[in-house]
Order: sequence, then C-alpha cells, then structure tokens
Amino acid sequence: MRFKASIQNISTFTKLTASLNSLGPLAWLKLSDDQVCFTIIPEQGTQVWAVLSIDTIFETYTVQSAANNVINLEVPLASLNRALKSALNATSAHIRLTKKDNMPLLALTIVTTSSSNTYSAFPTTGTNNEDPFDQSPLEDFGVGVRETIITQEIPVRVLGPDTVAGLHEPQCREPDVHIILPPLLQLKSISDRFTKQALAGTKAGTASTASRTRLELAANMHGCLRIGVKTDAMSISSVWTDLSNPDLDPSQVHNGEIGIAEHPSTRMKQLGTADGRSEEGWAVVRIDGRDWGKVMSVGRLGGRVIACFCHEHALILYVYLPNETGEDESVLTYYVSSYSA
Amino acid sequence: MVVLNFTLTPEAAAKVHDLLVCLGKFSDTVAIEARRDKFSFTALNSSKSAYAALSLDSKQFFTSYECIPSQGGSDGRFTCSMYTKALLSVFKGRLYDPSARFGSIDSCEVSVQDRADQTECRFIVKMICNQGIIKTYKLTYEATDVMHALFDRNVAKNKWSMHASAMKEYTEYFGAKTEMLDIFAGEDGRTVFKSYTEKISSGKEVLKHPLVTAVAVRVADFEDFNVQPGLHIVISVKDFKAIVSHADTLKTSLKAYYSQPTRPLQFSYGCDGLLCEFTLMTSGDSNAAATPAAAIQSPSRGNSRARSSTSDRPSNTTSRPEMPPPVEPASRRAPKRRLPGSRPVTEPRRPEPDADSLFVQQEEDDARWEPVDYNKEEETLGWDASADHAAPVYPTFTDSASLSRTESAESSEAIAPTQRVSQVSGGLW
Repeated sequence: MRFKASIQNISTFTKLTASLNSLGPLAWLKLSDDQVCFTIIPEQGTQVWAVLSIDTIFETYTVQSAANNVINLEVPLASLNRALKSALNATSAHIRLTKKDNMPLLALTIVTTSSSNTYSAFPTTGTNNEDPFDQSPLEDFGVGVRETIITQEIPVRVLGPDTVAGLHEPQCREPDVHIILPPLLQLKSISDRFTKQALAGTKAGTASTASRTRLELAANMHGCLRIGVKTDAMSISSVWTDLSNPDLDPSQVHNGEIGIAEHPSTRMKQLGTADGRSEEGWAVVRIDGRDWGKVMSVGRLGGRVIACFCHEHALILYVYLPNETGEDESVLTYYVSSYSA
Repeated sequence: MVVLNFTLTPEAAAKVHDLLVCLGKFSDTVAIEARRDKFSFTALNSSKSAYAALSLDSKQFFTSYECIPSQGGSDGRFTCSMYTKALLSVFKGRLYDPSARFGSIDSCEVSVQDRADQTECRFIVKMICNQGIIKTYKLTYEATDVMHALFDRNVAKNKWSMHASAMKEYTEYFGAKTEMLDIFAGEDGRTVFKSYTEKISSGKEVLKHPLVTAVAVRVADFEDFNVQPGLHIVISVKDFKAIVSHADTLKTSLKAYYSQPTRPLQFSYGCDGLLCEFTLMTSGDSNAAATPAAAIQSPSRGNSRARSSTSDRPSNTTSRPEMPPPVEPASRRAPKRRLPGSRPVTEPRRPEPDADSLFVQQEEDDARWEPVDYNKEEETLGWDASADHAAPVYPTFTDSASLSRTESAESSEAIAPTQRVSQVSGGLW
C-alpha cells in the first residue's frame, strides 16, 4: 500500500478540510487512480460526499494497493486541517502514507523559508547550499534565509474494502426545484441571524430549542428562494428573486427529452410566479438552523452551488469547486434531510 | 521594618505584566525577593519540575529603587509571595500603549508597608495615570522563604542560542494538546524540535491522538550552536512555549544550556536590566548519548537545594549544585520517555491571540465561515428580567416559568404570567 503526493493547492485543501470538519470530526478518505473522495457521515445531520479530481489539490500523485489501487482511510479532520495550516506559507508540501510503531499515519512534510533578517548577529548563507564548507558570510551579507523542514504526522486508520462496502451515497427521487443559490456569505449571515432570533430568550440545551431553530427553506422554478423561521412570538422570512434555475441536460436525465418532459421540475414551472408572492409552486424543506450553519461553512471554497429541493423530503446541494480547465469538475454533494412539519 | 520603594516607567510596568503572564503559566503564586541591588520574581511549578527566576536590576530596570531589608546587612533581603492573578489584575495589559486612550499610565510607584506599628501589611501599587488619576492597589502578601534552583553552567556543555522570534515561529507549528518536546541534535546539520504526546491508544482512539510535529532547523540558522551530535533531551512543550513567547516579547535571543537527559536544562534571556532564567527538569534516555559529563555523579539532594542567600551566581560555584530532581527515579526506570514532572493539565488555557502569529490572519478571514456557536452568543436581543434593580420595578413578564416565579416572590409589583406563551393553543399566528 503506497500513497504519496505533493500538494499543489494548499489553500484549497485547507479550506476543504475546515469546511468538512464543521460537519463531523472524521472523514472517510478514498484515494484511487483518478479521484480523491472525502465522505462525512455524521451520526445525525448532513452527509457530505465530495469527489475531487486529483489535480484540484495534488500533483505527482501515486497510489498503489492490492485492492485495485484504492486506499480507504479514516482521517481525523481537525488534525489534518491543523497540519495543513502550518503549510500555508510553505515553499513545498508533500504528503504520504507511512507507518510508525505499526500505526499508520499520514506524514505531511513541509519546507518553509523565512528571512532571518535582522535577528542573527551573523547572517546565514543561502538556502540550497548544503555544503557546510561553502559558507561565506561576507558574500551573502544581509540575504540570510532560514530554511525549515516541518513534519506533521496525522494518525489515520486504514479501512478494509469490506468496511466501506456498506457505505452508499443516499438515493433520492428527482427534485421538484433546482436553483442556483445566492452568495453563501449572504445566505449564511441571514440564516445565522434568523437562528439567533429564534433562540433569543431560550436557555441553551433545553429540549425546546431544537424545534425552535427549524428554518424553512423553499424555492420555486421562477428564480425565487425563501428562507424563514417561525416561533411562538414571531415569523420572519426573506425572499430572493431573479436567481437562476439551470436547464436540465437531457443526456444526464433518465429517458432524455421524455424524461425532462415528465420531470417534476417541469410541472413546477407551471406554478408560482417570479415575484415570489404566489403561494403556489414552492418546494419546501425544514432544516435545523445550526446544521445549516455548518453546511454553509463550505462557502469559503468559493464554489457555485446548485440546490435541489425535494418537497418535504430533502435538500441536496451540489458545490462545484472553481477550476481553470473546466474539465473533471470537483463536486461536493451535501444531503440535508427535511424534518416533517 | 523593611523599606522597599520603587518606581517604574510605563514600559517597565508593561514588562512586569508580560513576565507575570509568563510566570502564571508555571504557578498560581509568585514569590518576590527584594535585595539592595535587585528585585526578583520566582516561581516553582507544583510538580517542582520547572523553576523560573526573573530578576530586575535595581539601576537599569527601575526609575528609582530603594530597598533596605530589616536584617542581614548588605546581603539581607525581603521576601514574600502573592497570587499571580492578584498582581496581574494590577499590572494589566496595555499599561504602555501610546495609541490607547485608556489604560496607559504615566508611571507606577510601588511600596511595601511592613511595619510593626501598623496593623496592616500591604504591598501597595500606585498607578499614576494621565489627567491626574491615581489608582492605588493594596495587596496582601504572605511571608515566605524563597528558594532558588541552582544551575551550574560549567557542567552544561551543550548550548545553543537563537532569536526568540524565530523560535516562536517554530513553536507555532506544534499541534495543540501535545505534552512533550524532544530536542534532538541531528548529525545531518539539522536540529529537530519534536512535539508529541506519549499515549498508547488503540482502535478508534488512535484518531484522537494529537499531531506529532517535528520542526527541523538548520544548525546554521542558530546564532550559536554547540551540542553533542545525536543527543536527545526532552522537556515539557507547555513550559517551552511559555518561555519562548515571553522571550519573544523582549525581542531577544534565547539561550539554552544543558548537559544530558535527566539533568536540568536552563533557558536564559534578557535585556535592559531584566534577566530571565528558567531551570527545567529534563527526561530522555541518559545512556543513549554517553558523554564525559555523564560520569559526574549527581550531588546529594541535601546539597542540591541551597538557600539563595548562600549563592545565586551558580556559574561561579565550583561545587555542582543542581535543581532538586523532581518526582524521582521511577521515571528513569520507566522505558517510556515520559517527563516525570509534566504537570497535570488542570485548566486548559486558551491560546492568546498574537499579532505575530502565523495563522491569525487566515483564521480571521476564515472565521465568518465557521458555524455559529449559539450557546455562547453575547449579542442577543432581549431585556433583563432579573428583579435586582435598584430602579423602580415595572411590571414585566418573561417566557420562563421558573424565573418569573422567583421574581414575583421578591417584588410584589411584578405580575407573573398565568400561562406560558408557548402553551397558548394554536399560537398567536
């Protein structure tokens, strides 16, 4: 079993692990020849299934194993994130799977250089010069650079193929409404505020708080998104209009053109209006405000988000990570289930 | 009767704050020892594995300094101990901050009232603030006998020195919750600072194991480096971080002196009349790197403790007094390199935000993406329903049965709701 790679996009990798870590402490990391998958299945709350193309985060990537060159690991996200943070100023960073005292671990090796500027009484010599006899402080006066190698060891567990065989991505019926979400920072701050308002006056940890923080999220096929919260004392909601409902790609829909004609979203297009005032045509889900706040944490990656609403059933978010080539898109899929009314 | 009066500039008072913060990481109480020529703060941690002595030079550090101990002539001293937190509440942060509108001071005058003809003995601090405000704090103190750990630098053959700011940068790579720091002088021209935790765990627990971080620093990046190659020495990473971050406030070089594992190690730094010395117990395999110094037998415990009045310039002594070996030999027999004196973690301290930190910028940018923790929100809309106002009580109600009941008991003017709002069937909408 071999895995090693150099990390080409430390910032993306760090943000990814931070976003995932808000949903659960452990991730199932599946490394294969053509993609890297992160999956978080918390005991309750939202599941994430992330599929990344290799070059989203890695380059010079090698993975080898007896099981079709697939390696499954269980990774503590907080440690991984912490380790990656120390690489933010790195000149290079490599990661590999190794063993120490029979314990598997991911070793992250980081090389950083920082100027030794005015600290040292005697300036040190240039960076890449390994020959100790070649130090000539006079020549390099004032251009001293400290080069440091940092190794971070993240404990992991290797998962056997049979352990992960039982894990499946959730199945869901065709969505009633699909819509591109407004900027997540806006959405997050509004939903956080709603949750906070709903909680005002309650004591933390009491049983009643869980039902109070239910956000009602709704969208129609005319570019409207509505988010609201209702408690004994208040009812607030915000509506976005002029959002975009992307067209379905016939090649991606079961039965092609016929499938689209029979698709629930086609029916939903007949209902509701673009000003969001009509009571008809909304697909509604009820979600926990705190859990939603954790999901919104993915906004730091700056991707495009399409939300698919299955009325009274589930909300599925597809987060497309920005990439230059436009091919092999990396997608994070969030499965948020709806509470019953 | 003792006379002890001194005056500090705002800069010096701020330095007192910084050093108290550092000492607070070692012990709840700080001991004070005043002599004619210097004033020192000392602290010994509860497991006696770390001893700190920070001495302030009477001429350089203070604007004025007068100390006449009640006895002992020129060698006499005044000693007492105080709660570190009590002193910190007087020597607050930002005593010296030219840009701050509040909190900064013009000068600080300290005197000790310790006279037979007065009923109260107090440590009196006067903060002279701008616009003529004088804040006077009277602190109680406890008589104590100050002990000093002695350290013989002649035996400590291994030394290095590095700018504290660079060392601070390295400590920031260390993962949270690690306990030990192994300083290893490699043979490949690099010295490795490895922070780790000695904990055997199995199954799922493995994943909770803290990060192991090794920072390999080129020997050439040290200001001075003279350590036997292959030598490992293990200290507490918390102690090390506390020392390094204090040394960093002084922007000075941190010097380390040590002989071999299980013998004490000393960190030393200072500037402008402030000299800081930390003597730490070390662990590690003392046989792994047999040195000529290893032949030296440790002196008996009786000799190893010495009252400071005998000598506190250890480098001049020819005997080899040592820091009291803490908890003792069980640790040496133990195969694992557990630091015998590593303190139990009583209260996890939150890392203080630091302007120079490597990560702060990133985290601040990133913080808005974190899920909100509604349990510790300060900003909530509401009103104060507690009945303990001196102001007239207006009838008020709150959607909390228990609270309103006590309220109505205490104030007859408040009217308790007969029903909770949530119990109104159908709600208001």
